[in-house]
Amino acid sequence: MNGDRRMKERFKIALAQISCRQGNKTENIANISKNISKAKKQGAELVIFPEMSLTGYVIKDEVYDLAERIPGPSTKIIEDLAKKNDMHIIFGMPERSPDTEATLHNSAVLVGPDGYIGKYRKMYLPTHSIFEEKRYFRPGYEAAVFDTDLGKLGFIICYDIYFPEVTRLTRLKGAKLIVCISASPGVRRSYFEILTLARAIENTAYFAYVNLAGIEDGLQFWGGSRLVGPSGRVLVQAKYDVDDFVTHEVDYSDIRPIEAFLPTLRDLRPELFDQLKHDAEQL
Amino acid sequence: MNLSADVLDLDWAEVDQRLCRFIKDYVNRAGAEGVVLGLSGGVDSSTIAALSARALGGRNVLGLTLFEKETRRSEDVLHAELMVKTFELKSEAVDTTHTLEAFNHSAPVFDSADRLNNGNVKARMRMIYVYYYANRLRLIVCGSSDKSETMMGYFTKWGDVAADISPIMDLYKTQVRSLARYIGVPEEIVEKPSSPALWPNQFAEEELGIRFEQLDLILFGLERFMKPEEIAARLRVKKSLVEAVKRRWLSAEHKRRMLLTAKLEYRTVGADFRLQRSPL
Repeated sequence: MNGDRRMKERFKIALAQISCRQGNKTENIANISKNISKAKKQGAELVIFPEMSLTGYVIKDEVYDLAERIPGPSTKIIEDLAKKNDMHIIFGMPERSPDTEATLHNSAVLVGPDGYIGKYRKMYLPTHSIFEEKRYFRPGYEAAVFDTDLGKLGFIICYDIYFPEVTRLTRLKGAKLIVCISASPGVRRSYFEILTLARAIENTAYFAYVNLAGIEDGLQFWGGSRLVGPSGRVLVQAKYDVDDFVTHEVDYSDIRPIEAFLPTLRDLRPELFDQLKHDAEQL
Repeated sequence: MNLSADVLDLDWAEVDQRLCRFIKDYVNRAGAEGVVLGLSGGVDSSTIAALSARALGGRNVLGLTLFEKETRRSEDVLHAELMVKTFELKSEAVDTTHTLEAFNHSAPVFDSADRLNNGNVKARMRMIYVYYYANRLRLIVCGSSDKSETMMGYFTKWGDVAADISPIMDLYKTQVRSLARYIGVPEEIVEKPSSPALWPNQFAEEELGIRFEQLDLILFGLERFMKPEEIAARLRVKKSLVEAVKRRWLSAEHKRRMLLTAKLEYRTVGADFRLQRSPL
């Protein structure tokens, strides 16, 4: 974080709901770049892209060729775009672990006007139905919150949303805007439409959900990206299924009255978490 | 779990939209001129023809009517023509009778009494024609297999199921009929009993020994990991019927996964070579 800058209470964010060319980083970066320019023109200070937006989601064994270190060559390109456009950018990509060759993570990256800020490694890797993430990825072990000019930003990725403790951890670390990047196919839409609201309400925080659009190997991503306010109201929503781009203002001063009205953080019962841990181990 | 008919009811507007997008996206990615399909006049191929026309425009959909003298029924011809007219498709009629006769004469082991094997030759011959047109005219082969028949293995290996894309393969037969109605396939086609037309008067329900309304609910239960006794109790049918359906479903997997080799090396075709699907 640049010490000369003060944290903003109000700013505009852009949700860039894109479809990807599977395995084609050059084309996807060009698309990301185009959307960053659009965000800049519309006065946004943060633009968010979906899960695995660097490579596309269905890349299977090609992930071993496509994964990169973070920071690395592709994050450098996005960093340069962030500097040039004075913009915060969040996107998803397969990450190669620094000390290994084939240990990979499904990661979210945050870069800002001063360059690389941080990354989050997805904790819950779906490996059921058509998903096979554990075949390729190692789970992350740390909740991620980054202190920026736009306040503390928390991260989760797609399937993490089903496990409220991940989002809760980011909130407890001070995140007021929690970002969920996603690659969710149409058959899961009804779940996500509820969970995105629930995560915002139970944490009294802004919740920005950005999903892929388009079709990869027959898998149709449902889009529907949205910014949900701290009371659970959908403030802006992108179209279903197709590429779209929407913006909306985040105003942190909206959180206080909501937190007073529905004090879920005040009423947290830490002792229950010990019980939760115990019972989860017995399952 | 509830197993009444309404469990098969979907949001048909959304299904229509998703399938049209699926077809259009694949054709565009492949850089193809459109699709070709075998248009039999039955509900499955008519639904595929209608969806393709809605996705691409009728002028980009070629319906091949592949008849031969033994199974040609004037009702099917009329229905195929009705589809061509209703959805403004391009069409071509091909009589495969002579090709089949030439094949039969050239195969020393040919036996006219071997109805099933000869029927499979017809299905594979249709596939050859469809792919020939596809390759000549830069078209994608759009298959019309549904989920009921695919799960039951009620198709010819390397025959009618062969296609580049199979848009309705995740819909049971009764669901296909609902979708067909929704997208405007004429009612007489929607209601017509299904037939693979491998020999005269062959009807799917007679051969399978069960009505699709019942079969689809049994398959729906099996799909959702229900036990045969639960399904039988819910549907008030004999457990042995459900078990027979389950056996048939499982024993046909060799027809649905067509590449199998012995694992010898590092990565193996059909096993752990996991690559994205490239459109043509």
